[in-house]
Amino acid sequence: MSELSPADFYLPGEIIRNLKSKDREVIIGPGLCRNESDTKSLIASQAGYLCFRAPNTYWLEGRRNRYIPKKADLVLGIVTKKSSDNLKVDIGSAESASLSMLAFEGATKKVKPDVNVGDVIYAKVINAHKEMEPELVCIDQYYKAGKLGVLSNEGFVINLKQKLIQQMLNPENPLLRTLGRKFPYEIVIGVNGKVWMRANQCKDVLTLCRAFQIAEYQKETDIIGICRQFK
Amino acid sequence: MAEQYKSLHPAKYYRDHLKHDIRPDGRELSDFRPVVINVGSIKTADGSSIVKIGNTTVVCGIKAEISRPKADAATKGFLVPNVELSPVCSSKFKPGPPSDQAQVLTQIIADIVGNSQCINLEELCIFPDKIAWCLYADLICIDYDGSLIDACALALISCLKVVSLPEVSYDPSLDKQQVNLEKRTPINVNSVFVSTTFAIFDDKLILADPTVEEENLCTGTLTIVTCNDELCYVHKPGGSPLVDEQMSDCIEKCMNRSNSIKKLIKTAILENI
Amino acid sequence: MEVIESFENNLNLKCKLQVLSRADGSAMFSEGQTVVLSAIYGPVEVKMQKLLIEKASVESVFKPKSGLPGVSDRYKEYLIKNICETALASALYPRTAVLVNLQEMQNQGQLISCAINAVCLACLDSGIDMKFLFGAVSYFLTKEEELTLTPPINESSVKAMFVFVFNNTKGDVIASHTEGRFSIDQYKTALDICRDEVKKVFIFFKETLLDT
Repeated sequence: MSELSPADFYLPGEIIRNLKSKDREVIIGPGLCRNESDTKSLIASQAGYLCFRAPNTYWLEGRRNRYIPKKADLVLGIVTKKSSDNLKVDIGSAESASLSMLAFEGATKKVKPDVNVGDVIYAKVINAHKEMEPELVCIDQYYKAGKLGVLSNEGFVINLKQKLIQQMLNPENPLLRTLGRKFPYEIVIGVNGKVWMRANQCKDVLTLCRAFQIAEYQKETDIIGICRQFK
Repeated sequence: MAEQYKSLHPAKYYRDHLKHDIRPDGRELSDFRPVVINVGSIKTADGSSIVKIGNTTVVCGIKAEISRPKADAATKGFLVPNVELSPVCSSKFKPGPPSDQAQVLTQIIADIVGNSQCINLEELCIFPDKIAWCLYADLICIDYDGSLIDACALALISCLKVVSLPEVSYDPSLDKQQVNLEKRTPINVNSVFVSTTFAIFDDKLILADPTVEEENLCTGTLTIVTCNDELCYVHKPGGSPLVDEQMSDCIEKCMNRSNSIKKLIKTAILENI
Repeated sequence: MEVIESFENNLNLKCKLQVLSRADGSAMFSEGQTVVLSAIYGPVEVKMQKLLIEKASVESVFKPKSGLPGVSDRYKEYLIKNICETALASALYPRTAVLVNLQEMQNQGQLISCAINAVCLACLDSGIDMKFLFGAVSYFLTKEEELTLTPPINESSVKAMFVFVFNNTKGDVIASHTEGRFSIDQYKTALDICRDEVKKVFIFFKETLLDT
């Protein structure tokens, strides 16, 4: 990952000119919106660094703390309400997500999965529109659960900043691996900022929590540096 | 047909009218609604007024009470405005404790009074640190049809002009006060403030003296209060940005209007006597 | 770096972001001797009665340094709420609420402008989508008819105070609040000077965000 330069830093309302994709259409990601008066430029709507991926995708890498559901996101949620055929799941967004009882592997009208209020669920967002409540499923397109579903009650859930989540999901980031060398643990990371962990000892879980909480306030390069020391 | 069109597409309905430089109520963009002032109609109050700007109606009554000055301002009396938006004036308001809007309005009116220094609070003091007049100005909105700050400010200033206070003699050695209700003297009003509200429609058009419909559809408001030849309040709570020319234009209109309003207050008071 | 020095002399801005762990965005902002803490939560679940179909509803709460919030605090809440409604891209978050919380820490006369700037930084910190930035500048007119940016030490020597809020796109006035009496020319002069000053505020915002 290249170092971000202050020249690429934009604030809301600032106009972004000199787009690299000349006559092609521009695909815009988070933090940007189109300029109605000048189609060749974009307007920033968040504070962040402008990123570009060839051929024509632009987005702003900024800070985002509150989770806004997006389609196909893998999220972690906590069941808050249970009715006969629907679950309400708190995924940290403005509105609780709904999860159908039939959206589990092998579930039918008669055979319902064993889910209770307070359970932690790893699910996929299949419908996220700002006008509607987000919808989750615990199966893939082949009706298989894969890694989705209810997580064990022996785990521990914490909330982390979106920035750290993105770093941890990057397979090149050494943080999880370095910790794994010290003691075995299981971890499930939802892009919504919730993280579920399980280890053999309570002490190890607390070590993980502490490590992540410290990492939240460190730069990515610093995290990599610290991890190297423990090799 | 127009009725249905208006309720279905209120913004477009207005836009169609404004394209021809006219508002649905027949006014031009910078025209004000007719103003009616009546003073002294409530005999139980120490001063009263009723103001109508178009349909917007505000009644103001001032009641004077004797109270003790504050320790940190021993030579000052009080003028306490209070705006009430009762359920009578609009379906927007529910009975109960004052709504946020009423509280904000009360603060705005209090700010205007304080900024304009129309009343010298020291003149309301009868004896330092012992007794002083406290004027409770109750502003009650009866009909809410926009430009409420203007109506409240106008009601208050015309009411202050007719307030008369009974003579009070105070004997500090005995700590005794005697009120002579027969002998009343008016209070000094040093300056007259006139408030004018503008609404910004679609980020560019400026409508003077908006009705409630216009206020709801517009993207911002601007209230300017003039006091003699000066300004004493320029209030723009967010909304569409304004360029300087528009701002100057509004100030000028406000200045022009204030003269005619001042004349109107004078006539209203003369008629009452 | 020259710019920073020059406005540090004038406005003396300081800021710390992410001061609160639970809030989505938070900022401790100081302007001269005035300090305000602000926190933004949002978009979050909305109360039924405040629900808006087409956009997010903004709620603001202002807490004074001591005592219970009064009518004058309602007015500040109303001002801040209106500014946020204008600046936030609330149409992106329909049927939600954005909560703006402010806590006065210290007041030396620039409370309103300080609070508005603190809100803007908290919004930037939270990463909520905005149409433009807003920055506020206070300006004082003393009894000797002098215009100054720094609040006079003696409060009674202030004849009038202006607070202007500008956006960063065209530098237009979004909000204006005044106290005291002044002439039209004084108002216009203050407006022009504040428009220049606010640019420094925006530079400060950028510096702050680049640092954290």
